[in-house]
Amino acid sequence: MKKRMASLTALALSVSMFVCSCGADNTEVLHEQVEQTEITLSWWGNDTRNEYTLEAVARFEKAHPEIKVKCSYSEWSGYEARNQIRMVSGTQTDVMQINVGWLSQFSADGGGYYDIEQLSEWVDLSNFSEEVLEYGRRNGVLNAIPIAMNAETVYINKTIYDRYGLDLPTKWEQLFEAAKVMHPDGIYPLSGANKSIWLYCIAYAEQQTGRQFFNENSDICFTEADLKLMIDFYNRLVKENVIPKVEDYQKMNLESGSYAGTVAWVSDAMGYFTNVIADGNEVIAVPYTVSDGIESGVGWYAKPATLYAVSKNTDHPKEAAMLLDFMLNSHEWAELQGVEKGIPISTSARDYLGTVGLLDGIQYEASLVMETNDHIAHMDPLIENADLYNGFIDACNLVLFDKSSSEEAAKELYELYAQTYTFADEDNS
Amino acid sequence: MSKKNPSMKDISRIRIIQFFMIIGYALIVIASVTIVTRLAVRKTDEVLKNKVLSLTSSLGVQMKLNMDSYISRMENSATLAFGEKSSYTYDASDPNNDEYEAINTEKVITDKLFSLCIMENFVDYGIVYRNNRTVGKISNATGSLFGDHIFTELEKMITRPRTADGWFTGYNGDFKRIYYVKRVHENAVIVISFYSNELEQVFDNPETMADMTVRLVDHEHNILYSDDHDEIGKPVPKSIMKRIAGQTSASFMDDDYLISINKSGDWYVICSIPTKIILAEKNDMTRYIYMTGLGAAAAALLVGFYLSYLLTNPVKRMVKALGMKAQNDLLTGLLNKLTFEEYSANALNSSLDSENRALVIIDLDNFKGINDNYGHAMGDKVLSDTGEMIRSVFSDDDYLGRIGGDEFCVLVNQRKSDIKAFREHVAKQCDTVADNFKKLSENNGCKVSASIGAAFFPADGKNFEELYAACDKALYNSKEHGKDRYSFYDETHDKGGEGQ
Repeated sequence: MKKRMASLTALALSVSMFVCSCGADNTEVLHEQVEQTEITLSWWGNDTRNEYTLEAVARFEKAHPEIKVKCSYSEWSGYEARNQIRMVSGTQTDVMQINVGWLSQFSADGGGYYDIEQLSEWVDLSNFSEEVLEYGRRNGVLNAIPIAMNAETVYINKTIYDRYGLDLPTKWEQLFEAAKVMHPDGIYPLSGANKSIWLYCIAYAEQQTGRQFFNENSDICFTEADLKLMIDFYNRLVKENVIPKVEDYQKMNLESGSYAGTVAWVSDAMGYFTNVIADGNEVIAVPYTVSDGIESGVGWYAKPATLYAVSKNTDHPKEAAMLLDFMLNSHEWAELQGVEKGIPISTSARDYLGTVGLLDGIQYEASLVMETNDHIAHMDPLIENADLYNGFIDACNLVLFDKSSSEEAAKELYELYAQTYTFADEDNS
Repeated sequence: MSKKNPSMKDISRIRIIQFFMIIGYALIVIASVTIVTRLAVRKTDEVLKNKVLSLTSSLGVQMKLNMDSYISRMENSATLAFGEKSSYTYDASDPNNDEYEAINTEKVITDKLFSLCIMENFVDYGIVYRNNRTVGKISNATGSLFGDHIFTELEKMITRPRTADGWFTGYNGDFKRIYYVKRVHENAVIVISFYSNELEQVFDNPETMADMTVRLVDHEHNILYSDDHDEIGKPVPKSIMKRIAGQTSASFMDDDYLISINKSGDWYVICSIPTKIILAEKNDMTRYIYMTGLGAAAAALLVGFYLSYLLTNPVKRMVKALGMKAQNDLLTGLLNKLTFEEYSANALNSSLDSENRALVIIDLDNFKGINDNYGHAMGDKVLSDTGEMIRSVFSDDDYLGRIGGDEFCVLVNQRKSDIKAFREHVAKQCDTVADNFKKLSENNGCKVSASIGAAFFPADGKNFEELYAACDKALYNSKEHGKDRYSFYDETHDKGGEGQ
């Protein structure tokens, strides 16, 4: 009996000690956070692009919860300077939308961006022809992949033109005739931001002179007289109320009806005209403006709309490549992007858009104007340089405000360009 | 036939006491464990809730600080524009401006503004003049949103007189961008805007609080930003609002929600998470405590049952032993007189007339002589041997007793329906007893015999007294006829008709 009681007591004590030891558990607690790889993405664009890109990034993060994408974006204004600061300071984002001109600016030898062919395990390059990829190569290195083709395009609000009984303008003189009847009502037949009007004036000058602004060596072929021709043309456009001064250009006037047309990129069509069309206006992407006897498209340029590149010093090339592939080839991204940047070059994205019936709308129509034109030329990226068009507008203003003659302004402009660019011999131009 | 005796009754009582003791013990254990468990759960709940509330409150404050910091950064960015003198001296709405000079001045201002916001994700960063002319970065979306009223509408957003600035969003139901407006001079305001999505970085939850909803609301409690984009522009859900009504900086917790609210400028940061999510671990812990309590109760009950068994079993054994001692004759092991009579009387009282029983009295002949001639030890041995011999002759169903010094009695219970066969059976057993006495005599070296009388139920008596009296007469008959024989009661002759 005593033995039994002793055993029972021992058992009770053991149980008590066990329970107490459980209560006083000093085990260390370790909670491991899910470590996300953070990569950065940058782009420029309007509201529409920003919204769908953020949504698409959210889809990518959902599909790849181990990756966090930090976004950096703004409208085009000032973006070029931001990109330059980032590129020269080595703080560029892992994946970036770039302009075609930046390839020559930041990667003369092909070493300015990551060689995407080294990432082909994660980026499906089979959706791009070799010819297309050539746009993104520098010194044989695949620095970037083009998203779509882009060109300045003339968009006309047909509803306004119809109101005045005017045909859709395809010739320069039609615009001046339209201005005569529209201006009394405060309406401009056309409009454009500084770069668009710069390219518009180049188109006019090339058609008049038969010379291209740049030759294949990126030497300026225009003479001082050609620059004067451009300056005079701009001033005529402004003075005869075809366009507002570029400083006065406000996109919202397209919605208010003060502008009956505009010159803008294919990729800008949705951003500019979604509300205009929603208000019941019919907007048409008309053939490129030309002089009599000139084929439509002469003097006009096409380029890759934008390209995607990967930072040469990214710490996460694999994740950057996964995002790049998602942006270029995935149906999820294509569904949101649609034709906002133009018709996608990626066969995967393009086929998907065709299948789901998203290849339509003003942006698609503008793309067709470009893709079906046989005379449009490949753009030299340098022609978009800000110092070129800012210098041109400054020269135009000198004349416009009677600060100097067009000859003097053209001379000054020529000398300004000569500080940075090489002029071709007149014999070679 | 009832064979119950006092000791059995005592054991039954002990069993009843044991049953109630176990039930009582079980109730006490269960009640104690329940109370302790409930107290433990309540205390754990209280501590855990306070801790979670404290931590979540800290997170809410951190969100508010993040928002304050973000707002401050935006405001500083706007203020930096005043670093360019022309930005606050130039008035684009002045009709006396020289147009060419104005273009160049605006260019300077634009360059300055671009350089200031170059690394920011601003949608707008520009100056709007009373004539709706804009300088710097004013997006198409903002232009479309306000149209021809852009200056007047932006001017209305200035709500803080001292700093002449203000924050707003939700103009015409558009919550995509958040605007900051600051007066530059009488005819100009500077405006900054950013996508409300940018606040995702400001309100980025730690992974462990991924289920928490963070909302930025205005003073009318309309949602300006939320993790759930679908509710932007709508009022704060009533389920949240009623819990924080009137509060500007507080944390609250009940069974449904854990909520914290913190004021940031003119707006509020509200963090909320369903309690069942934040306290999911608590529910596991409560379950653990209850399971532990249940286990402890079960263990305590098992131990209690075992202790009860250890406690009552010896008592039962002792009571049983004492009962045996009280019922039996210590020398022979047969029932004592009192017990034999009680058992026999009970058996006969409960017997039917169709049942046959017999009472047999065995009285040792000249037992006094054995004591006198051979000593009391021999006498005791003879008595003991007699008891053993009787036990061997009769069956376990029969009651065997020693009812006097040298007198034994047997109630034969072997129920034979045929009275004749039963009488023959009893007669045979009486013969066997007589024969066995002879062997007993040989073994002990002294002459031992017995006179035997028997009477039958119900013919000779219907109760113990009647049957005993009849049996006694039969015994008398045996003694009268020379002892060492047996007689059956014969009521017609009032003396035994059969004998040895």
